Amino acid sequence: MPRIVNVVLVLSLVGAAWNNSKAASPVRVIATTTVVADLVEQVGGDLVAVESLMADGVDPHSYRATPRDIDRLIRADLIVANGLHLEGKLAELLERIGRKRPFVAVGNAVPKDELLSIGNDLFDPHIWFDAKLWSYCPSTVADALSQLDSKAALHYRQRAEKYSKDLLELDKNVRRKFKKIPQQRRVLITAHDAFRYFGRAYGLEVIGVQGTSTESEAGLADMNQLVELVVQREIPAVFVETSVSDRNVTALIEGAAARGHSVRLGGRLYSDALGPAGGGGDTLEGALLSNVDTIIGALRATSTSQRIVE
Amino acid sequence: MIHLAVAIAFLPYNTLVVAAGVAAVGCAAGVIGTFGVLRKRALVGDAAAHATLVGVACALLLTGQRDLAVLLVGGLLSAMVAIVLLVLIRKFTRTRDDAATAIVLSVSFGLGITLISGMVSRGIPGSGGLERFLLGHTASLTATDALLLGTVSVVGVLCIVVGLKEATMVAFDPDFAAAAGWPAATLDLVLIALIAVMVVVGLPAAGAVLVTALVVIPPAVARQWTERLVPMLVIAGAVGLLSALGGVVLSSLAVQVPTGPVVVLVATAFLILSILVAPCRGILWRTRSVSGLSSVSLTKTEVGAATPRVMERKL
Amino acid sequence: MAGNNSAREVHVAHPMLEWHDLTVAYGRRPVLWNVDFEIQDPCLFGIIGPNGAGKSTLLKASLDLVRRAGGTVRFWGQQLAEVRSKIAYVPQRETVDWDFPVSVMDVVRMGATSRLGWFQRGGKRERELARASLDHVGLADFANRQIGKLSGGQQQRVFLARALAREAEIYLLDEPMAGVDAGSQEQIFNILAELRDQGKLVIAVHHDIRTAAEWFDAVALVDMRLVAAGPTAEVLTPENLTMTYSGRLSILDEIGEAVERGGRTP
Repeated sequence: MPRIVNVVLVLSLVGAAWNNSKAASPVRVIATTTVVADLVEQVGGDLVAVESLMADGVDPHSYRATPRDIDRLIRADLIVANGLHLEGKLAELLERIGRKRPFVAVGNAVPKDELLSIGNDLFDPHIWFDAKLWSYCPSTVADALSQLDSKAALHYRQRAEKYSKDLLELDKNVRRKFKKIPQQRRVLITAHDAFRYFGRAYGLEVIGVQGTSTESEAGLADMNQLVELVVQREIPAVFVETSVSDRNVTALIEGAAARGHSVRLGGRLYSDALGPAGGGGDTLEGALLSNVDTIIGALRATSTSQRIVE
Repeated sequence: MIHLAVAIAFLPYNTLVVAAGVAAVGCAAGVIGTFGVLRKRALVGDAAAHATLVGVACALLLTGQRDLAVLLVGGLLSAMVAIVLLVLIRKFTRTRDDAATAIVLSVSFGLGITLISGMVSRGIPGSGGLERFLLGHTASLTATDALLLGTVSVVGVLCIVVGLKEATMVAFDPDFAAAAGWPAATLDLVLIALIAVMVVVGLPAAGAVLVTALVVIPPAVARQWTERLVPMLVIAGAVGLLSALGGVVLSSLAVQVPTGPVVVLVATAFLILSILVAPCRGILWRTRSVSGLSSVSLTKTEVGAATPRVMERKL
Repeated sequence: MAGNNSAREVHVAHPMLEWHDLTVAYGRRPVLWNVDFEIQDPCLFGIIGPNGAGKSTLLKASLDLVRRAGGTVRFWGQQLAEVRSKIAYVPQRETVDWDFPVSVMDVVRMGATSRLGWFQRGGKRERELARASLDHVGLADFANRQIGKLSGGQQQRVFLARALAREAEIYLLDEPMAGVDAGSQEQIFNILAELRDQGKLVIAVHHDIRTAAEWFDAVALVDMRLVAAGPTAEVLTPENLTMTYSGRLSILDEIGEAVERGGRTP
């Protein structure tokens, strides 16, 4: 079995070398999630062909690789992952393939002291919705691409710098938008803890019904506490995510309603995956802005006499 | 005790909803499970539960919706197919009950996982983590869920109450029932199907493994306390109900305690207690009687000799 | 045919039970082959043969409990479905779980209520019938005992009482003497003989040739096919027995001995 893998590896290396000799053919990159794929696309532009291992709407915490995925990973010129244990079940496989193939985990580019610890030397991996944190990442991708395709190194570096600048601009933009929301209303309740960096960056208190990973189950006491919190602070809206089941949030809304507090379903937020291609949420910028607009729209609405819609 | 009563009186809404839903499932699972346990079919429910994955995956594929009702209908259909397959395998290959159950369980689970993996790798929206349907989400039951669970539970228990004579006759001695003109095979299938429906509907409330426990543990507790069927049904139902209520209340007292597993732990506590102290069958009772009354221990030996526990049917 | 002669006027034209070319196979393995025989009148009838000869299968095939590959079974010239209420079946004792949480009375009452329609639980009449049947087999004192707490002979009698509670005309018993001590065996045979005297047909699968010769009016020797059938004295000949038990020489001596003594057990 290892022998077969080696043969495949050699063949694909030969293939890769042959590909590089032709200037016109793009660098083939496999990104683990749609968010990472977007990053690579922003940096690489027309010179790379990016594919995302996980499709949009897929939960990366519980994703398991299929043989076809392994094949795709082995054949790629470059593998780009988020890292920081986002790809829970995939991590070990990525590490193994990463030893033999060019591999980058963009999360490692973020300075450790800016990451949120979740204990045991582990960090919250959901870094992308803090545009400032994400702006650390383009340069790593540019470096990796330059090593494979040195002739276009300048192209990659320029694009990476431009994209980092765009992200910082976006960051400022989002901050400004949130200023319009009164401080005590800035509470974001979602199905799982994917928005802690986002909350820290833009001054929102973030509470997830589930834990940081989608794998843990919420207990009844957690649910009761949340209901209490929503009622006490008169929070007008809670949110669901595109890639996570919304059952917990539904139960929460019902619990609050029983206490005479009507809390709205504020809408769907992009969290672990971007939207389908062609939609407004198919890039990180688009998804972030869409989230911001959804949240602001819902939190600005008056908390009372809101009907539970959707 | 008073503390507990007060706690129940002031339960938050979500606790009440979850308690109602899980208690209904616990009670009905105990009653219906009694026949499963007596027919040595404890794992039929487990097989049905795992078979739901195929239906759940197909339901998502066909409708594109990840709606609980849609998924449940799909799951129920595939569980029924699995149960029919189980009966057919037993009938035509003369495979033993436990082996046939194991075959159906593993094959349908494998098929379900394969289907879901295939859907995930093809990027079908909503397919990620679909296998977690089997885990349940006790704490986030809604009033609609509780109502559904309650209705199915009541109907299930009613079926047993109405057909008690038929169920008992077929469960005890299917050959005698068949010879007397009763459709024993069909009645048997109905009993299995009842267990399957109960388990599938109970999936959101507790998850596959835990709902299987609710089908098996309360009857096992009840059997420790009685030698008669009707009391056994009543006790099993009561134990299921109390386990559910106890588990829900206990888990609502502390943060980060998942509700489903606590329910099963409470049921298990009932079982351990019963094994120790139940009259006649309890360990404590038996030790005392052997040392105390010689005449009783004599009867015991006789009983042992006269009780051949042959599960296979001879021809 | 031997036996008491209280003929039933209604069915006088037909034998009480007839098998025509009855064949049963499990998969491709034939278990019973072309059994063709009829029992005209009430009697105590034994089905005798070695292990695996298809004795139990013969009963089960008669009651549609196993699928017949061919042939027909008629009771008073009618299909089973039309006369089920007049037939009682006693399965082998090992086929049920004796740890089942039912009392002796519960089991016997099943016999009485098995004749009622769907969802009817029965009332006073069924209770009295069950009580009388239990009395009949001498187990009235054990009515409330859990069935596992009985001896083998008592368990067989509970099964017999359940069959009696069906108030049937034909009784089909599968190994009613298995695991039964000599005393109980005598008691059970007496009840069966009594039934015969009341004009019932009693058919029992049996494996002990000595007692068979003593009690049965008529027997059928079965070894996958019908070797011989008829009045006991005519059928239990050394030749027939050799044919039935061929290849099972170890018990031939015993059989010869039994037959020589004219079916009299000490």
